[in-house]
Amino acid sequence: MSSEAALWPFIVYFLAVLALVATMLGLSWLLGQRRANQATNLPFESGVLSVGTPQIHFAVEFYLIAIFFVIFDLETVFIFAWAVAFFELGWEGFLAVGLFIFILTIALIYEWRSGALDWGQKTRTGWKPER
Amino acid sequence: MNSGMWQALSPLLALSGGTVVLMLQIAFHRNPRWSVAITQLSLLLGAGLLLWLWPGSDYQSLLLRVDGYALLLNLLFILAAAVTCWLSPAYIALRSEQSGEFFLLLLLATIGAMILAQAVHVASLLLGLELLGVALYALIAYPDRSLLPLEAAVKYLVLSGAASATLLFGFALAYAGTGQLAFTGLSESLALAGSGAYTLVMAASVMIICGLAFKLSLVPFHMWTPDVYQGAPSPVTGFLATVSKGAVFAVFLRAFLETGAYQFPIILNSLAAIAVASMLVGNLLALRQDNVKRLLAYSSIAHMGYLLIVLLVCSDPANHDLAVEAALFYLVAYTVTTLAAFAVLTWPGYEQYQGPEHTELKHLSGLLWHHPLAGLLMLVAMLSLAGIPLTAGFVGKFYLFSAAVTGPHWLLLGSLVVGSGIGIYYYLRVVYYLLRRDDNHALLPNAGWHESCLAVVLLAAVLGLGIAPQSLIGWIQSIL
Repeated sequence: MSSEAALWPFIVYFLAVLALVATMLGLSWLLGQRRANQATNLPFESGVLSVGTPQIHFAVEFYLIAIFFVIFDLETVFIFAWAVAFFELGWEGFLAVGLFIFILTIALIYEWRSGALDWGQKTRTGWKPER
Repeated sequence: MNSGMWQALSPLLALSGGTVVLMLQIAFHRNPRWSVAITQLSLLLGAGLLLWLWPGSDYQSLLLRVDGYALLLNLLFILAAAVTCWLSPAYIALRSEQSGEFFLLLLLATIGAMILAQAVHVASLLLGLELLGVALYALIAYPDRSLLPLEAAVKYLVLSGAASATLLFGFALAYAGTGQLAFTGLSESLALAGSGAYTLVMAASVMIICGLAFKLSLVPFHMWTPDVYQGAPSPVTGFLATVSKGAVFAVFLRAFLETGAYQFPIILNSLAAIAVASMLVGNLLALRQDNVKRLLAYSSIAHMGYLLIVLLVCSDPANHDLAVEAALFYLVAYTVTTLAAFAVLTWPGYEQYQGPEHTELKHLSGLLWHHPLAGLLMLVAMLSLAGIPLTAGFVGKFYLFSAAVTGPHWLLLGSLVVGSGIGIYYYLRVVYYLLRRDDNHALLPNAGWHESCLAVVLLAAVLGLGIAPQSLIGWIQSIL
C-alpha cells in the first residue's frame, strides 16, 4: 500500500535517531572515565550550585489561569470550525454557535462573580471569610 | 431541525437549561435553598417531559436515539438524582463552605447519564461518559474538610482516566478496522470484515470491554471500588453506585446488541469469565468487611456480575426480549434498593459534624430500636440486596434466573446461585447488627419530616416492587 511506502522514511529516521543516541551514550560510557566525587551526582545548573527544595508551593491562581486558558482556547477551536463552514451552515449554524457563545458568556460571568479571576484576596458572592 | 427532534431532546434541554440558570443563580445570589429548588425544579421538568414523551417516542439521529429503553432509564436516573438532591443539602452544608456547585455538578452528571442511555454512536458514548465522569470526580472530592474524599477522588480520577484512554484506543482500533463509528454502521461492516480487520476489531473489543468493565467495576477491574465508595460522601456514593453504573450498563447493552458483537464467541467467552469472576470475587471479598460502604462496594461488584448474565443470554435472538426485560427490571430494583441503603448512611443526624462518616457496622448496632424507620429501611434494603422474597431484589434475581435458564448457561447459573448463597451471610450480618439490643448507640438520628418522607417513599418502592411488580413489568414489556 502507498501509505506504508510513505511511512518508510519515517521508520528509518526513527531508527536512525535511536541508533545515534545509543551510540553517543554507549561510546561515552565505554570510553569515558568514571569518578565518584561529591559533586558527581549534583544536578548540573551551568556551574551554579542548586539550593533549596524543588517542591515549592505555587499560588493556586497559576493553575486556575492555566485551566481557564485551556477551556477558552479549546472553545475557540469549535468556533473556528464553525467559521470555516460559515456559508454552508447558514442561519442554523449561526444560531447554534450563538447558543454556544451564550453559554460561554455565562461561564465567564460565573467565573468572574465567584472570584476566580481575582488574584490574592477573593471577592466571591455570599462568601464570608472564616471568623 | 424539526419539531420531532425538539420534542425528543426536550428532557435533556430542560436539564441543560437548569444548569445555566443554576450557574447564574450561584454567580449573583449564592443561596443553597435556591440552588436545591432550581435543581429539583429542572429534574421535575425533565421527568415531566419524559412522561409526556412516553407513549412510543422513537427519534433517531446520528448520535442519539430516544426510544422506550432510553426513556425508562432516563426517568430512573432523574428520579435517582432527585433522591440524591433530597438527601444532600444538610450533609453538604456540614462539610463544605459552598454548597451551590454540588447541585450544579449533580445536574451535569445526570445529563451525562441520560446521554449515555440514548447513545448510539461512539462520540455520544464518550461525551456522556466524560460528562458523567468529570462531574463525579468533583462530586467525590466536594467535602473540603477531610482528606478521605480527596484520596477517593484522586484514585477515581487517575484510574478512570486510564480506563477512558483504553476505551478511546479501542474505538480508534475499531475505526481503523471498519471505518465506522456509529453502532449500526459498525455492525454492518463487521459482517463484511475480512480477516485483517477481524484481528483489529477483536483487539478493539477487548480494549472497549476493559474500559467499560472498569466503569462497572467488574473483576479484574474492581480495585478502585471499595476505596472510592468509602471515601466519597455517602449521597454521592449512592449516586455513583446507581446512576453511573446503570448508565454505563445501559450503553454497554445497547452497544453489544447494535454492533453485533454477540456473534463472536471470543467476546462471549471473555464476558462469561468476567461475569463468573465478578460474582464469586465480589461476594467472597465482602464477607470480611466491617465497613458498610466497603461491604456495599463489594456487593455492587457481585451485582454487576449478575447483570452481565443478561448480555450472554441476549446473544440468542429468541431470548433477546426476555433478557432486556430482566436487565431493565434488575436495574430499577437495584437502583431503588441501593439508594435506600445509602439514604440510611447519609441520614444527617447520624453523621458527626466535620468528622469522618460513621459507616462501620458497629455504628449501625441497634439502629432498629433507636430509630425504627431508618432501621427498617436498612433492613429492607439488605434483604432486597440478598434477594429475599417480598422485596424488589427477589423479583429482579428471579427474572435473571429465568432468563439464564433459557440457554445453556450452566456455569453462570451456578455462580449466580453460589454467589447469592454467600451474599446472604454478609447481608444478614448487617441485619444482625441492626437488631442488636445495644445501648452504646451514642448518635441518635434526629429525623426531620424531610428524611422521614424520603424513607417512607423508598421503603414503599422496595416493598412495592417486590409485592406487586406487575405494573413495572407491564410498563417494561410495553416499550420493548
